[in-house]
Order: sequence, then structure tokens, then C-alpha cells
Amino acid sequence: MPAQPMTLLTILSEAVLEDTLVDEIVALGAKGYTISEARGRGTHGERSGRWSAGGNIRIEVIGDAPLCARIVARLQSTYEPDYGLLMFTCPVELQN
Amino acid sequence: MSFEPVVMFFLLGVFAGLLRSDLKIPGSIYEFLSIFILLAIGLKGGVELAKQPFADLLAPSLVIVGVGALIPLFAFPVLRYVGRLSRADAASIAAHYGSVSVVTFSVGITLLGEHKLDFEGYLIVFLVLLEMPALVIGVILARYGRGQVRWGKLLHEVFFGKSIYLLAGGLVIGAIAGPEGIKPLDKLFFDLFKGILALFLLEMGLVASSRIAALREYGVFLAGFAVLMPMFSASLGTLAGWALGLSVGGTFLLATLFASASYIAAPAAMRIAVPEANPALSIGAALGMTFPFNIFLGIPIYLWMARFIHASGG
Repeated sequence: MPAQPMTLLTILSEAVLEDTLVDEIVALGAKGYTISEARGRGTHGERSGRWSAGGNIRIEVIGDAPLCARIVARLQSTYEPDYGLLMFTCPVELQN
Repeated sequence: MSFEPVVMFFLLGVFAGLLRSDLKIPGSIYEFLSIFILLAIGLKGGVELAKQPFADLLAPSLVIVGVGALIPLFAFPVLRYVGRLSRADAASIAAHYGSVSVVTFSVGITLLGEHKLDFEGYLIVFLVLLEMPALVIGVILARYGRGQVRWGKLLHEVFFGKSIYLLAGGLVIGAIAGPEGIKPLDKLFFDLFKGILALFLLEMGLVASSRIAALREYGVFLAGFAVLMPMFSASLGTLAGWALGLSVGGTFLLATLFASASYIAAPAAMRIAVPEANPALSIGAALGMTFPFNIFLGIPIYLWMARFIHASGG
């Protein structure tokens, strides 16, 4: 199969939001996602991941550009004002 | 003053954090330790509950939950009007102080063991009961007359978050199994308890050391609140325990429960229900100040208070 151009959306946010964000992403039409635990520092202070309420997660979604745009718009309006949230996209070529 | 050895593990963790040691307890081990402590405390309470007719607990439960609900209602106006914190921050911190800390309670139980004092095992039921009302009151205080609350999400977090779920699950298993049935599990859950608690405190020390700096930014008021509020709550607990006719050990544990501030269940619940509250404030106060204050100074003071009221009052 030839490589298909797609968009990879990476979302960095608070671990406490995991279930909520996954519900949103699936409801907006994502077929799948990958979650990993993360830690680091940002404008919301250090997120050491040392104890359950203090960690971050990284959610990766691959989809077409409109889907990623929908997810970004939704998360930005609902969660950005109160939660640590960082999102970025990059073009990827799906190989299988 | 002689310290409980388990408490020194907390200091060991604090110093590791301050001295930037590379000591780190992996997240999955932390999860295991907290699951162990919650289950062990639940089982312990369940075994005691098996010896007690359930109906006898109804009246004291109502009294204790009622008195416990006063704590956030008292804390909120102090934080809001004396400390001039925002409504959301005041409500969130009030909820943390109204809710309870299982680990502070566990340190209290080990102290009773050292002093060879008994306590009413069914107090562990109150530990479960007291986790919830303050969180709900905190959300109502934050939201009263403004905006909607995602109650479904919040109640799910409160009842099925791991703290309540494992404590209540342990209680039920312990109550069904009874003292004889639980014997095969004794070695793991009861004999090893202190050692596991020591490891958990090491981790809490590491976390607390990173929170103390955050608290410094928020000034004298919050630091003072984090010390005076538990003393006030412990006095309420001592009076309630004595009025309910609990033993010295039971009165002390109730005071310790009231004095403790939640830093496991409450932060997660408040982050979801009151997202505009700054978690650095509530966690900094509860974990950076109140928890160490309680385990080093508070707990010996509460024991003295319980002894004093029993000696002078009856």
C-alpha cells in the first residue's frame, strides 16, 4: 500500500483528565489513540509524575487534518482556560 | 521528643528532595504502596466491623459526619475573607481540609501501637465516610449560584476513585471474612504494614519537598492556616470523640482524622469539579505543611488532648 499522508496530533495534558479527553476524542471521530505517561515543566509548574495527581499524559492521535482541527478546537475552548494543555500537529505518512 | 521510626522515613524523603538526590520511587511502585495501604486499612476496619452490630454505628456515624461537615464550612469563610483567596481557591482548600488523609490516620494507628493503647476498630468506617461530604460541600461552595457542575463526573471520581473504592472494598471483605477468615492474609496485610507505610512516607517526603517551595510563594497566611486549621479540627474531633464515649485511643484517632487534610482523593476530585482553583495552593498547604505538621507535632499533641479530656472530663 502506498504511504498515505495523515496528520499526527500530540496532546500533552494532566493525567487527571485522561478519561475525559479520551471520551472527547472518540466522540469527535478518532478511530484510535495512544497514551503514554509524561513529565516535565511548563507554565503550570513542574509536573514530576511522582504521585498520581501530579503527572502528565501524552495522547497521540493520527487522522485527517479536519479531524485533528476539530479536536484542537474542542479541547482549546473547553480545557485550555483551566488545565495545563499543549497541542501540536505534524504531517506523517502512514505506512500500513 | 522521640519520633516514630516510620516518620523518619518521611524526613529522609524530604532531605533527598532538598539535596537533589537522584532517589526516585517509580510510579508503579507508588501505586502499589498506596493500594496496599488502602486495602490493609480497609481490611483492618472490616475485621473490627464484623465484631460490631451494624445498627450501633448509625448514630455515631451521623454525629461524626455532621461534625466533619463543619470543618469545610468553617474553613471556607476564613480562607475567603481573612486570606482573601478567590472563591474557587477557598472552596477547594476547604474541601481538602474537610476530607481526610489515610496515611496520617495510619501513622496515628502506629503511634497507638507504640503506646499500647486500643481503639475502636470501627473508626475506620468513619475514615471512609469522612472522605466524601467535604468534597461535595467544597464543590457547592465553589459553584453556588454560578455555572454548572459536572456532578456525574465528580460523584464517579469520589465513589469509584481508588481511595474510597479500595477502603470500602477492604471493609466489606474484612467484614465478610471476619477475624478467623482473614488469618491467611494477616502476614501480608497486617505484619508488613509498618514497613510498607515507611516506604510510602519516603515517597511522600520526596513529593512534599517539591511542594514546600511552592507554598512559600503564597505567604504567611496559608502557612498559618495549614497549622492552625488542623489544631481547630482536632479540638472538634476530641470533643466529639469524648462526647460519643470513645476510648482515649479512639478519641485521639478521631481528632487525627479531623485534623488531617486529604492529598490523594481531594486533589483529583477538585481538579475535575473546580478546575479554576489553583492546585498548587491546596496541595502545597495540605501536603507541604499540614501533613508534616500532623505527623511530627500534631499527632503527639492530639494524643495529649485525648488523654487530657478523658482525665479531666470523666
